Amino acid sequence: MSAVLTPVLRERFDAIRALYPEEMSNSLVLPLLHCTQEAQGFVTEDDTVMIAAYIGVPAMQVLEAMRWYTMFHGAPQGRHVVKVCRNIACALRGSESLIAHLQQRLGINVGQTTPDGRFTLQTVECLASCGTAPAMQVGDTYFEQLDAARVDEILKDLP
Amino acid sequence: MKSDRVFQSFPVTADTHTLDAYRARGGYGGLTKALTAMQPLEVEQQVAASGLQGRGGAGFGVGQKWSFVSKKSPVVYLCCNADEGEPGTFKDRWILEHSPHQLLEGMLLASYALRVRHAFVYIRGEFDLPLRRLQGALQEARAAGLVGERILGTDFSCDIVIHRGAGAYVCGEESSLLNSLEGKKGYPRNKPPFPAIKGLYQRPTVVNNVETLSAVPWIIVNGGPAYAAMGVKKNPGTRLFGLSGHVDRPGIYERPTGYPLKKLLFEDAGGVLGGKALKAVIPGGSSTPILTAAEAEHLTLDAEALSKAGSMLGSGAIIVIAEGTCMVRLLQVLTRFYSHESCGQCTPCREGTDWMNRILQRILAGQGTAADLVSLQEIPQAIMGKTICALGDAASMPVLSFIKKFGPEFQHYIEHGRSVHDGRLTV
Amino acid sequence: MKLTIDQREIEALDGENVLQAAKRHGIEIPHFCYHDKLSVAGNCRMCLVKVNGLPKLMPACNLPVAPKMNIETQCDEVHKARKQVMQFILLNHPVDCGICDKAGECTLQDNQVRYGSPESRSAEPKLHQRKLFALSPRISLDNERCILCSRCVRFTSEISGSNALGIVDRGCHSYVERVSSQPFDDPYSDNVIGLCPTGALLSADFLYKSRVWFLEPVRSVCTGCSRGCSVDAWRRMKVREPKAPGMPQPQVYRISAHDNPEINGPWLCNKGFDLAKAMARERPLQPTLAGQPASGAAAVAQARRLLAEAQKPALLVSAHASNEELDACRDALQALGGRVTAYVRQDVQPAAGEVLQDALLIRADKNPNSFGVQARFGSAAFDATAGHDLVIVWGEFTDFASLGEVRTVHLSTFGPAPGARIDVALPVSTTFERAGSFSNFEGKRNTFVAVHDKPPEVQHAADVFRSLFS
Repeated sequence: MSAVLTPVLRERFDAIRALYPEEMSNSLVLPLLHCTQEAQGFVTEDDTVMIAAYIGVPAMQVLEAMRWYTMFHGAPQGRHVVKVCRNIACALRGSESLIAHLQQRLGINVGQTTPDGRFTLQTVECLASCGTAPAMQVGDTYFEQLDAARVDEILKDLP
Repeated sequence: MKSDRVFQSFPVTADTHTLDAYRARGGYGGLTKALTAMQPLEVEQQVAASGLQGRGGAGFGVGQKWSFVSKKSPVVYLCCNADEGEPGTFKDRWILEHSPHQLLEGMLLASYALRVRHAFVYIRGEFDLPLRRLQGALQEARAAGLVGERILGTDFSCDIVIHRGAGAYVCGEESSLLNSLEGKKGYPRNKPPFPAIKGLYQRPTVVNNVETLSAVPWIIVNGGPAYAAMGVKKNPGTRLFGLSGHVDRPGIYERPTGYPLKKLLFEDAGGVLGGKALKAVIPGGSSTPILTAAEAEHLTLDAEALSKAGSMLGSGAIIVIAEGTCMVRLLQVLTRFYSHESCGQCTPCREGTDWMNRILQRILAGQGTAADLVSLQEIPQAIMGKTICALGDAASMPVLSFIKKFGPEFQHYIEHGRSVHDGRLTV
Repeated sequence: MKLTIDQREIEALDGENVLQAAKRHGIEIPHFCYHDKLSVAGNCRMCLVKVNGLPKLMPACNLPVAPKMNIETQCDEVHKARKQVMQFILLNHPVDCGICDKAGECTLQDNQVRYGSPESRSAEPKLHQRKLFALSPRISLDNERCILCSRCVRFTSEISGSNALGIVDRGCHSYVERVSSQPFDDPYSDNVIGLCPTGALLSADFLYKSRVWFLEPVRSVCTGCSRGCSVDAWRRMKVREPKAPGMPQPQVYRISAHDNPEINGPWLCNKGFDLAKAMARERPLQPTLAGQPASGAAAVAQARRLLAEAQKPALLVSAHASNEELDACRDALQALGGRVTAYVRQDVQPAAGEVLQDALLIRADKNPNSFGVQARFGSAAFDATAGHDLVIVWGEFTDFASLGEVRTVHLSTFGPAPGARIDVALPVSTTFERAGSFSNFEGKRNTFVAVHDKPPEVQHAADVFRSLFS
């Protein structure tokens, strides 16, 4: 089944399409997946069918991309997706205790969402914040040079 | 521009990324010179004369790469690789945040030399401020007639599109990047053919790293030979070295190649965090073989010296590890990373990276055996040189080098079911 | 150009890869993902060879031949690499050959036996995946057995164009999948079964019916359309007949594509894969006279009587007839000196929803030998106004009412529509029950041999005509 391409989304799709040379319509797969996820917080298989139809590529191509790239969520997430880097430089600067602190404070494990739907906690690989480790990304925003206190402050200030 | 600094030639402030600030420090002078007084071939020749080598990690000669592109091809593409994902690396980010116009100018110069009409910046999907700064710079550049039709009133036209990735380390590999740009999974391509022959949509394509392209304006302004005169002869120029981990003042430090590592770490960057003794250094990003403190003692930061030491200059990302760090746990951070990032296309990497990670996990859980150390020699050796792309090698070298240099720690963990250093990773 | 493989100088063709060149000279380089009708994937890494003494082994499938190239496929390094690749491929493979239909014709088994090590070097529990998944009603998918060679994916992308299959998720967790809201109803879907080098993709129809080493392939030709693809019909070997009476066994267990570069290459459409099912439909096993069972002799005798009485007899020739049957019919007719007017037709029309014609194999004419018929009998269609009083209908036919007020003799395999008023009905043999040939729409002749005996009371059409027209 295809998801419905709403007029609002279509307008955004058209604007993105205009940025690329005409012969490169296949390149729209990632930008349109991002656009769809920005609108609704996640991307379903039906969305991939819709996007594929808009671009004119096989549905399987968009589905493969949606499943392979880690930034796309296949299901609704919490309002704020908290992504803490667990790679080497952050690990050397305390990311593990940060993650433990977050689990304790939010009352959830990595991969879970708080019951009130406010936070989803994930670990991610290197964010290229090695010089300002440890770091996390909440939604689109980077937060760096973290410690437990700063993390608490950041979470408190989020809507 | 200060003659020995290609990048960090100015103090960073709130505005230094803007077009005005860039122009004030001589920005777009190189582009103006090239478009008004040089032929495309001359631009290519200056870059070749500079001896500039790729700054992404592979270190391939830029002039050589550009020369592979046929002068007769009607369509040539340029892709800037801004998918910075090698653990420890955060230098391209520095350029995007503080001097994005330098990248744009470098891309325009490369496009002029290679006859590129459409250029792309493939920027990792996670980037926040670097993306916004680049987008802002591109807007400014367009408005000022520096990007688009008839640049600076000449016959040269070039458009730049910023294309976001979506979370995949392997997309930093150039052929994977191209497949991703084509709207597919980032599966690397078998080579031959190479991108300069058949790249984006099967057209000749040059893929260059952010730092590489951003060095081109300086080269055009000051001449290739002037660049070649900096640093070490066989590996010239300056590099944006990144220091992270157990270091007092982590950050990006531009230094000429051949600069002593010890000086960089202990004099420029304040030494090991908390005044601890140095235990080890990963010199060029997590994929490069680890060096002990002793091996790092007299090391100079150039390709040949690193090669002699049994490692690589890589992305210039120096990860500092202090005494008391558990190397077994640290290795598992990396094996987990590589198995997570393995694209899944080819057999040795797909199966082997997960295999190595699960062995490390079992060792960490206190269930390791002596046979595991044998496996952790055999598996990386079975992977290396047999994969479609270098991720297989990148995943293998840390395993081989960690165990080679810190074998007793691994043996201890296996024999006693726990870490010598209580599993500590922090200082 | 000349190059050396294993110290042997061989002649290679421009544009070939080393794997192809080696194969042409009888040197087998093991591989899984390479197929010469599909794009190069180079993902299995089994075909790694040593090139020009260089330290890094290269995949032979992606290595264009070059003059004076020196390839080694038998050195220690290559042997070791093959063992290592087999270790990785089998790392999470279930090795459930004991319950897998592919056993005995499995590339994975063959390469493991020839090139692998006897034991796994892994102490880890195997990763699990989906098993016995109905990819479609026709195809069962076992993702654990899959080695992710991507042949099936490339087939649906490059050959059939349905793009139904892909590989989702990453790394060791990736698996072959289809879009769940889009059924895998590609008319060429079953080709992936033969393409699959392991037991991951299996025919649901053939599932658990027999071990393949009890079966043997017999060369036949599909009767589904005028392409006339070469097929193999698999029957139980005589020496492997079950010793004790047990469950009834099919006469033909399965159909596979027979690689015929002239006609269908290595491919076949699903209708072709269903050929055995089509041949095994319920059919009349006894001649009838006005609907009543009769002996073959009595039926032929009555037909001869009707022919002698007829003023203006006609014959509708079957487009499913083999060239040999058509020759026998024409020769027998000539003995009657033109008394019988022969008409041609296309016995079988496309069914509702059936693919009409495409760029790959499927042709709109759903009969295997229209070419052979027209070459011998011309192209005149039956004329109901010509005043015929007897019509001998040869082949499948339903619209007896359209013939008008005539006496009818019907030679067919699967019988007329129920309720049809036939004077003499003579069941005749199928393609599987005799040898012969068809000429496809391009006039290319394709031969078949008998797969099994015909039922005793069913006759060969050629014999019927020889009796009828003498």
